Amino acid sequence: MSKGDRDRKSAQARKIVEAQKAAERRRKVTIWTTVAVVAVLVIAGGIGWGVLASQNKKTEASQVTTPSVAVDEGTAFAVGTGPVTVDLYEDFMCPICNQFEQQTGPTIKQMVTDKRVTVRYHPVAILDEASNGTKYSTRSGGAAAAAAVDGKFTEYHDVLYANQPEEGSSGLTDAKLIELGKSVGLGASFETAVNDKTYDNWMTKVTDTFASRGFNGTPTIVVNGKQVEGPNNTLPTTAVFEQAVQAAEG
Amino acid sequence: MDLKQQQSTRLTAAWPWISTLARLGLAAVFLISGGLKVTDLAASGRAVNAYDLMSWETAKVVGAVQPFLEIAVGLLLLIGIATRLSAAIAAVLLVIFIGGIISAWARGLQIDCGCFSKGGELTGGRTAEYGLDILRDVGFLVLAGILLWKPRSKFSVDGLLLGER
Repeated sequence: MSKGDRDRKSAQARKIVEAQKAAERRRKVTIWTTVAVVAVLVIAGGIGWGVLASQNKKTEASQVTTPSVAVDEGTAFAVGTGPVTVDLYEDFMCPICNQFEQQTGPTIKQMVTDKRVTVRYHPVAILDEASNGTKYSTRSGGAAAAAAVDGKFTEYHDVLYANQPEEGSSGLTDAKLIELGKSVGLGASFETAVNDKTYDNWMTKVTDTFASRGFNGTPTIVVNGKQVEGPNNTLPTTAVFEQAVQAAEG
Repeated sequence: MDLKQQQSTRLTAAWPWISTLARLGLAAVFLISGGLKVTDLAASGRAVNAYDLMSWETAKVVGAVQPFLEIAVGLLLLIGIATRLSAAIAAVLLVIFIGGIISAWARGLQIDCGCFSKGGELTGGRTAEYGLDILRDVGFLVLAGILLWKPRSKFSVDGLLLGER
């Protein structure tokens, strides 16, 4: 074998070894990066699970103060004594709820007076993210619960809508919520409940109940168990609502 | 070297850059969509529940876990680790999302897809734009496809570990 041949052979051998080393390195990198990716995903999922579990603690029975006057599994405040049940799920931050109150509220009040319907008001907090982190939906709903316990739900409900803050604003302050309460005759026990956030965990719980019943948006209007909507999920007109009540009266 | 060869050499040189753009773009998509949901997990659960595909209890868990998974996939793509696997996971998630939207569409549900928001039912005359949502997700799927096909990209942990420049 000539010297040139030997050189060529050893160069070839070196190349093969290098290629094997590179392949080995690729294999190792693939294995370890795969392990890392799986670990990251498992940890991320675990964090989500853990946060959910800690949030669920807030709605455990021991953490929730259910307003004494609440009906329908402690989720709503009843107004009126009529045979037809109207369930209204509303968020005090929701502009369309306010629109419905302005548009159909007087008709509902008349139906209550005429003893045609029992209205169950369900405050829910689905727009907590729309108040710059102040959770206005929860705070206002909790305040309404305090008002209900002190026998002034309707009055307070109406004054909250009359003073509805713009969606996306910080909402009304607790002080303003208390001031509005005083304007409809609520007193010290109401003020304490708002300041102590007595019913805030209850709001979380009833919002959960709302979702578990398969409802997603506010206002959700249900007459004798049947959801009432306009065409294409729009807000029902007063006429559509009246027809639904008449149909329920049979 | 003839013209064809020249072009193919140029394309070979360009692929890592194309893949880098795809990787960072897809990372942004996942980080943003996850970040927008993670601030209110209850709302995220309600958005999942709006699809009416599982029980409320299950939807709650999915709604809580999903934003964290999205952020994790976004971070993995951002640093470019196990790029092909990360892209595959992103693609699987996107296919599930597209499937969910198609099923909501087929059943005539009027919901916000909750893709870049907390979703929920549409009210006040807003109409669902499922076609656009799906088209957008298919676009993201193309990015994932590029990475599945050509996972080598610049500024990636993979490249660093393999000693690429």
